[in-house]
Amino acid sequence: MSASQSAVRSRAEAVAVSRTFDWMILFVLFTVVLGGYHIHFMLTGGDWDFWSDWKDRRLWVTVVPIVAITFPAAVQACLWWRYRLPIGATLCVLALLLGEWINRYMNFWGWTYFPINICFPSQLIPGAIILDVVLMLSGSMTLTAVAGGLGWGLIFYPSNWPVIAPLHQPVEYNGMMFTLADLSGYHYVRTGTPEYIRMVEKGTLRTFGKDVAPVSAFFSGFVSVIIYFLWHFFGKWFAGTGFIADDAS
Amino acid sequence: MKIIKDKIASLSFVALLMALTAAMFYTPTASAHGEKSQAAFMRMRTIHWYDLNWSKDEVAVNETVTISGKFHVFGGWPESVDEPDVSFLNIGIPGPVFIRAGSWIGGQLVPRSVALSLGETYDFKVLLKARRPGDWHVHTMMNVQGGGPIIGPGKWVTITGSMSQFVNPIVTLTGKTLDLETYNIGNIYFWHAIWYAVGVAWMWYWAKGPIFIPRQLAVASGKANTLISSGDKKVGIAFLVGTIVANAVLMGTTNEAYPVTTPLQAGTMRGIIPLELPVPSVSVVVDDATYRVPGRAMQMSLTITNNGDSSVRLGEFMTASVRFLEPDVLEDETGYPDDLLAEEGLTVSDNSPLAPGETRSVSVTASDAAWEVYRLADLIYDPDSRFAGLLFFYDEAGNRQMVMVDAPLIPSFI
Ligand SMILES: [Cu+2]
Repeated sequence: MSASQSAVRSRAEAVAVSRTFDWMILFVLFTVVLGGYHIHFMLTGGDWDFWSDWKDRRLWVTVVPIVAITFPAAVQACLWWRYRLPIGATLCVLALLLGEWINRYMNFWGWTYFPINICFPSQLIPGAIILDVVLMLSGSMTLTAVAGGLGWGLIFYPSNWPVIAPLHQPVEYNGMMFTLADLSGYHYVRTGTPEYIRMVEKGTLRTFGKDVAPVSAFFSGFVSVIIYFLWHFFGKWFAGTGFIADDAS
Repeated sequence: MKIIKDKIASLSFVALLMALTAAMFYTPTASAHGEKSQAAFMRMRTIHWYDLNWSKDEVAVNETVTISGKFHVFGGWPESVDEPDVSFLNIGIPGPVFIRAGSWIGGQLVPRSVALSLGETYDFKVLLKARRPGDWHVHTMMNVQGGGPIIGPGKWVTITGSMSQFVNPIVTLTGKTLDLETYNIGNIYFWHAIWYAVGVAWMWYWAKGPIFIPRQLAVASGKANTLISSGDKKVGIAFLVGTIVANAVLMGTTNEAYPVTTPLQAGTMRGIIPLELPVPSVSVVVDDATYRVPGRAMQMSLTITNNGDSSVRLGEFMTASVRFLEPDVLEDETGYPDDLLAEEGLTVSDNSPLAPGETRSVSVTASDAAWEVYRLADLIYDPDSRFAGLLFFYDEAGNRQMVMVDAPLIPSFI
């Protein structure tokens, strides 16, 4: 058999090989994104995502969408422009959440015994659906960045609220008021994470009083738009195949 | 800059998890929380923990242990450590094997960081509720922003029973009773599972057809527009609208279910009240101090003046949580951790009662293996080779006075 001959002998065989190839690539892509995105997210979002007593109305709402839109933007750039597949953001977020859940369950709970109700990950899937569908419908990077990025930031707090609202119920404990989340953070000792590291409810949005979460969400959405552009270009550049000599595209 | 600092702090949590993983495999009964590896001057010249008491050394799950005592915030705080303006009274345990049911400084509950003043002494109490069976080394600990953790003495406490029995009942301000150990976990799993399923459904919709090679060929040959059908768009719109509507509805139903919610509580607490200790009537001048490396002993020449009205004797020298006792004067009855207690570690050249008004020069030797075991001798390799500690004098009636000493230390290698 010479090198110019095809490795498959029939159309059916070609289809079968192509499908096998699909699943292999999908699996590899999923795992690679899981590793890269998870590390990136731990380093940038870190404690804001680890602990329920960091999930506040200002910084968590602002920081997490901004640092989390990175990989979805980049993977979208690759999967959309090369394959017209509108699944980049969802794939990233599913991979991230799988990695996070394994980490939270095996490490935080399994090894160090923090109850899951203090160390569950943030919900990002609704935002990913918005990004993917907007890209599919518009076929435009600009529109996805602007409408999708804003939607990604705005839907973050509502999509997490059903899970965190119960933890924001107030408690009186030894003469002070806590939320249940604060109390978990106080009860379940984190020897390596002293209280002053906790960055919550800090900032200059005081004039907005108790309606600070929507303002933070808008701000987060705006910054997410910018970060989306940046990482979309990273993704395009990273997905380039210019290093293959006879690449047509 | 602050954010970078905080990032470093949170990164160290990742490191902690990795370290824990490593510890799982290498040290079956790991004892240390790094207490011995912390620079000696950090332990000698920052927070001095004393009068410590661990109420029990064996408890069943759900029972409590109280750690109480005092800490002196050293007036000669080292320049290389940030001052304790933002400090957090922590507890050094390997993860939440106990829960911290309460912690107080000067009678004030301190769930958040506090400002401490140099030269002051505070009393404190930490109430721990046993959660996970095992033998645990329980340390007092003060985290200082910009200074890191300052670890106090540790004592072994055994927890018996089963963690499955552990409960953490809480009553909210709206009158609900719940168990914080398990509260909301089902709800968290439920919503994460629902949304994960939605995400998988969207992925599956695309992955069920041929994906990479045929689609790449189509894009390369200019037929990209044919790859998204109007059916695809309808499905996409359904996902998009469904997601947005679902979240809007959920926001509403959640607010109905939990009408009273409050923001997370945070902020440094100031105005913690220190103990009012009487001014000591004994004054001490350190004439010189040497550390004899081969003998594992520190020798101080002290000039002691008794300005009080009762004669006194030196009973104890304490530094970096190691207590050197003069056995003729003082015997420990508090069950202080053995490894930190040198019951006969203090020798005084002349420790006969020092009468009121009298001044005497004495040579005091504090010797014990703890100098090596606790790596206090490493002090001589620190950039600022000074030692500091507390001297306790006792009068005839058994009243105690505490005097700080702080002086340069000269090593002797022969
Ligand atoms: Cu220890």
